[in-house]
Amino acid sequence: MTEIVVTGMGAISSIGLTIAENLHSLKHEISGIKKAKHFKSHYSDSLVFGEIDQSDESLLNELGLEKGRGFTRTTLIAIKAFREAVANARLSPEDIASTRTAFISSSTVGGMCYTDDLYHDANMQGAPSEYVKHYEGSDHALQIVRLYGMKGITDVVNTACSSSANAIALGARLLETGKVDRVIAGGSDCLAKFTVNGFNSLRILSEEPCKPFDANREGLSLGEAAGYVVLERRADVSDTSKIQAVFSGFGICNDAFHPSATSDDARGPRMAMELALKRAKLKPEDIQYINAHGTGTPNNDVTESFAFSKLFDTVPHFSSTKSYVGHTLAAAGVLEAIYSIFSIQNREVYPSLRVEKPILEFPFRPTLNYTPGVAIRHVLSNSFGFGGNCTSLIFSACI
Amino acid sequence: MYIKDLYAISPQKTHDLSFENGEWQVLNEYIYKAVEPSYQDLIPNAQLRRMGKAVRMGIGVSLPILGRNPKPDGIIFGTANGGLEDCIKFLNQIVEYNEGTLTPTNFVQSTPNALAGQVALLSENQGYSMTHVNGSLAFESALLDASLYFDEYHGEEKNLLVGAVEEISDYNYNIDRLGERFKEELVPNVDLLSSGTKGSYCGEGSAQFYLSNNPENSLAEFKAFKQSSYLSENEIGEFVKSFLDEQKLDTTSIDCLLLGKNGDVSTDSWYEQVEQLFSDKPKVYFKKSVGEYRTVSAFASYLAVRLLNGQAGYLMENGATEKPRTVLIYNHFDAVRHSLILLQK
Repeated sequence: MTEIVVTGMGAISSIGLTIAENLHSLKHEISGIKKAKHFKSHYSDSLVFGEIDQSDESLLNELGLEKGRGFTRTTLIAIKAFREAVANARLSPEDIASTRTAFISSSTVGGMCYTDDLYHDANMQGAPSEYVKHYEGSDHALQIVRLYGMKGITDVVNTACSSSANAIALGARLLETGKVDRVIAGGSDCLAKFTVNGFNSLRILSEEPCKPFDANREGLSLGEAAGYVVLERRADVSDTSKIQAVFSGFGICNDAFHPSATSDDARGPRMAMELALKRAKLKPEDIQYINAHGTGTPNNDVTESFAFSKLFDTVPHFSSTKSYVGHTLAAAGVLEAIYSIFSIQNREVYPSLRVEKPILEFPFRPTLNYTPGVAIRHVLSNSFGFGGNCTSLIFSACI
Repeated sequence: MYIKDLYAISPQKTHDLSFENGEWQVLNEYIYKAVEPSYQDLIPNAQLRRMGKAVRMGIGVSLPILGRNPKPDGIIFGTANGGLEDCIKFLNQIVEYNEGTLTPTNFVQSTPNALAGQVALLSENQGYSMTHVNGSLAFESALLDASLYFDEYHGEEKNLLVGAVEEISDYNYNIDRLGERFKEELVPNVDLLSSGTKGSYCGEGSAQFYLSNNPENSLAEFKAFKQSSYLSENEIGEFVKSFLDEQKLDTTSIDCLLLGKNGDVSTDSWYEQVEQLFSDKPKVYFKKSVGEYRTVSAFASYLAVRLLNGQAGYLMENGATEKPRTVLIYNHFDAVRHSLILLQK
């Protein structure tokens, strides 16, 4: 079995513009879910969002990119997180461009984040906007491929809210089968009227900041983020100091129950976790912490808890870090993978914020406060999405 | 990866195999719409009404294949845009009702993974599930995913449903028209390649394959494939040659070349360079049949399997070969993203 390790990470979210800032907020229980400053919508005043506190203009400037060239916010935050991840892994420009380097990204809203420009272009009202060739879900990745002159395999997946978890799994498979020597995997999604109105029409947005695993939870809060990890085969890493964690396994399956809800018996989530454990050659009792999908919707949190109750004799520490950043859709999987690795590295659990009354049906409760001094060897990180997509990833301490 | 079964809905009559048997539709439209079969026996009416075209065509191809084969271990799709019609309908609601109270149907249907989800749901398949949205390489990405899956289960028999779907909506047509990808004047598809103008015509459809790592009773094999983005035009010959090298083949090994030439004078020269490498070989210009769209290489692969089995031979130009054994597909989109797919009998 080829051992896959994480050698670099980059992230931007509502709780930090860098991985260091994200870690600081997690440790200090600083939530990023509040009234939006940059995102303009009918719901800007009535709802709260996990918004990245950096304007498009400022991102363009910082990244040294020209205005008017079709860089959407999805692309800008993707480039920023990508840049941090490759620097963190100490990849040279030649490494990044190499035919032996794969780039696997993901997004749900993709290039369609500027709803009004898209409306004008799709309905042919006036001259084409700068984004007319940049609406595809894959555009952010193609821009990165162009900027870095990447010659290797590229891919973009969209399995809704499990997208970037699947990007990581796909990357690991490319390494295991020897197709490439390093992979940059993750995803990016920014706040958009499209997704805000979509989730609102399903009536699963919470007016207050979300409180996953609370008995009185009212729904999810939407957020925006981008994150990337660099994966390599352990045997290939000469500078072992850059190894951050081991990627031990994954499970991918379909709940095959409903287009936008999880089955009552949580067969999909259970199967995904079981498959991940099997692939990692671990037993449920080997897991010390679960970074739950935990969206804060009535349906998800009860079915996910049910899956925990069936799989674990004693449910380990678990929490939803979506209580910090909201649901960042395609980016959620990689962001939570990075947070899971923080938990391993720093021997601590970041809590589910704002839980006042845990769900009654189950004898276990999420971790409610920042908890240091927890020896964490293996973390399970869940991501479930519309269309029945269920993915679980396992990250392990490097020993 | 061995192809055990396949089916397609396309702008030609592939749904009842008339196209394969020589009935070729002359198209004189800006939009090459898919010829859809009746879905009456496949999908309950109430569900059918709610389905967007991409999901409908996709399911219309999946269910017949699944009906005649054992339950696959996974379902993998490639689509650049998924249900774009639903997507823009929802977008229009957002703008026109100023983000008022909207109905979620269009939103749920618009996600590109809606098709894989629906197929899993209708066929009660809890197996591996993935949707690739890698633009004009989305089908190639689905193939890559499938090949990884078979590599992982080496020695254990596994089957996958793998395919692609793309729909034309008024909206994506508008967007791509603004992006100068389509012709402003009408030329019938027979004369597509000699139009002498920029752009092409827009097509759509779904082509899917039942793949196995067991070669028994297979129709053909996906032997190899390769992708690249942002090549320069003088690199394309080398890209093709090195691909053949890796497969221990040379240009003489290819019996028939399938080219994505689409009548766009600004980018057809790339195809001509590749064509020159195989000057004496029969060629099939598949976009004359189905137009241009981002996952058209799935249709090209479908056609390749038919050719390898002695069907649709009438489409070969520059000579013909009765039963080709090895065929190569070269396709690009905007001359930015390039793909090669090698199939063998």
